[in-house]
Amino acid sequence: MRTGQIRITDLGIAYRLYREKVTTLKEAVTNRFRHLRSSEQFWALRHISLDIQPGEAIALVGHNGSGKSTLLKTIAGVLQPTEGTVEASGRVSPMIELGAGFDSELTGRDNIFLNGALLGFTRKQMEGRFDRIVAFSELGDFIDMPVKNYSSGMQARLGFAVAQDVEPDLLIIDEVLAVGDERFQKKCTARIGDFRTAGVTFVYVSHSLAAARELCPRAAVLHHGRLQFDGAIDTAWERYRELESGPTPGPSVSAGESEESARRSAGTL
Amino acid sequence: MQPASTVSSPAAAVKPTEGRGADAERPAPRHGSLAELFHFHQLIQMLVVRELKVRYKRSILGLLWTMLNPLMLMIVYTVVFTTIMPSTQKNFAIFLLAGLLPWIYFSTALMQGITSVLTNQDLIRKVRVPQAVFPLSVVMSNLVNFSLSLVPLFILMAVVGQPFTPALLFLPVGTLVLTVFASGVTLLLASFTVFFRDVRHLTEIALQVLFYLSPVLYSFDQVKAHNAWWFRAFEIGLTVNPLSWMVPLIRDPVYYGHVPGALVLGVASAIALASLTVGYRTFVKLEPRHIHHF
Repeated sequence: MRTGQIRITDLGIAYRLYREKVTTLKEAVTNRFRHLRSSEQFWALRHISLDIQPGEAIALVGHNGSGKSTLLKTIAGVLQPTEGTVEASGRVSPMIELGAGFDSELTGRDNIFLNGALLGFTRKQMEGRFDRIVAFSELGDFIDMPVKNYSSGMQARLGFAVAQDVEPDLLIIDEVLAVGDERFQKKCTARIGDFRTAGVTFVYVSHSLAAARELCPRAAVLHHGRLQFDGAIDTAWERYRELESGPTPGPSVSAGESEESARRSAGTL
Repeated sequence: MQPASTVSSPAAAVKPTEGRGADAERPAPRHGSLAELFHFHQLIQMLVVRELKVRYKRSILGLLWTMLNPLMLMIVYTVVFTTIMPSTQKNFAIFLLAGLLPWIYFSTALMQGITSVLTNQDLIRKVRVPQAVFPLSVVMSNLVNFSLSLVPLFILMAVVGQPFTPALLFLPVGTLVLTVFASGVTLLLASFTVFFRDVRHLTEIALQVLFYLSPVLYSFDQVKAHNAWWFRAFEIGLTVNPLSWMVPLIRDPVYYGHVPGALVLGVASAIALASLTVGYRTFVKLEPRHIHHF
């Protein structure tokens, strides 16, 4: 394994679905712990195999609930595979949600150190990065205000500013760039471009073809937890639209059009 | 899209070889190992500071409350047990507090720590972090509170004329054993609480029962002095209650002015180590499944 490489082999992630959610001991005892043995398994992902080389950029495409976020979380190490293996070597910067580790009562300054510690950095290491992070976030004097007084855009800025400064080998982004104003979005996109040039492996989830195409030449299409396509992004997007239009795609009607016409007809009704 | 150069600051430009010295090349410690936990000790430290900062935010006296709280409690107890219902035990207030403070430390840490994995679930869902840091940071912030509450205890000792002996130097050791014990129990039950929310309520009740089954309000010798069979049964209950072995770690040096005996120290240390081993191992084993039960 080279640094920055991700190797996913026959990955399966199962969530347990309880018909009746057992949350109390009494229920568990009266059912003789049956729920532990016979719960329905829902495979959020199954038989996924992907090999992502260092420095490669790949977009994950799929409908809501197709397993994109589950896959990201598994790569980030938040979820453990139910079957198969996920190997990701190098430092993972999980931007699954920006500012996930923020405590709203603490100031931006305190949160930078807290977030750094969550990512495994010592205080000293974060002190060296502090000025750079503040500069990138453009928060100025707001850095000494509690995060709860920040706008959501400001929180995202601070979150991105911390996450971009941890020298990742793997960058995992779950559509976080939708927040923040246009200028900051551009700054983030540029920063990600820098990472790409530097050979950082990049996994990106997006519902926007334009945004994904700008960063990723490759895309993987997930559909109900299965990998349906892996290859060039334009072909992937066609495949994605085809899948979205139904289990048996109608003759030559692309999903985009049918959705639009459906919306139009719904509006007139 | 605008050219990247107009918005990317030159200082932030990525150079893959730059700054990749000691800190970037650390191999990640194996998950569940103590090395991993040590790797994150600064995170625990920060979580403790966060906890204290948030708790005393916008309060004028701030951290002083940590000392004022037990001081008020002590004043009330002292007044009650010297004037309203005087006890035969000399300096009963000191006797009581030397047992009550470690008890409060243990029970508060446990009750707060037990839900700490659940309350941090948003974070656990998004960032890969050894979840043990959450219960442990709760224990540590209560350790800070406990240590601070010793200050008013010493003040009170001086006021009522309780002698200060060299045995007080044993307190850090006693506190360490108590902390190890509390950490183990908290880790174990914090993990169980994720699967069964009842554990919290059960623990609350168990703590109430255990309080009276621990030599806090009375001494072990007082129980031994009686001959009736139910007192023998009571004595057995007292002996098997691990907390009975923890209380003397603090009370002996503070009130009796001597270091706990070898038996007490040996049993207490063994219980504490067993508690931490079982608690931490179970926690780490169940940890990957937590996320499915939030």
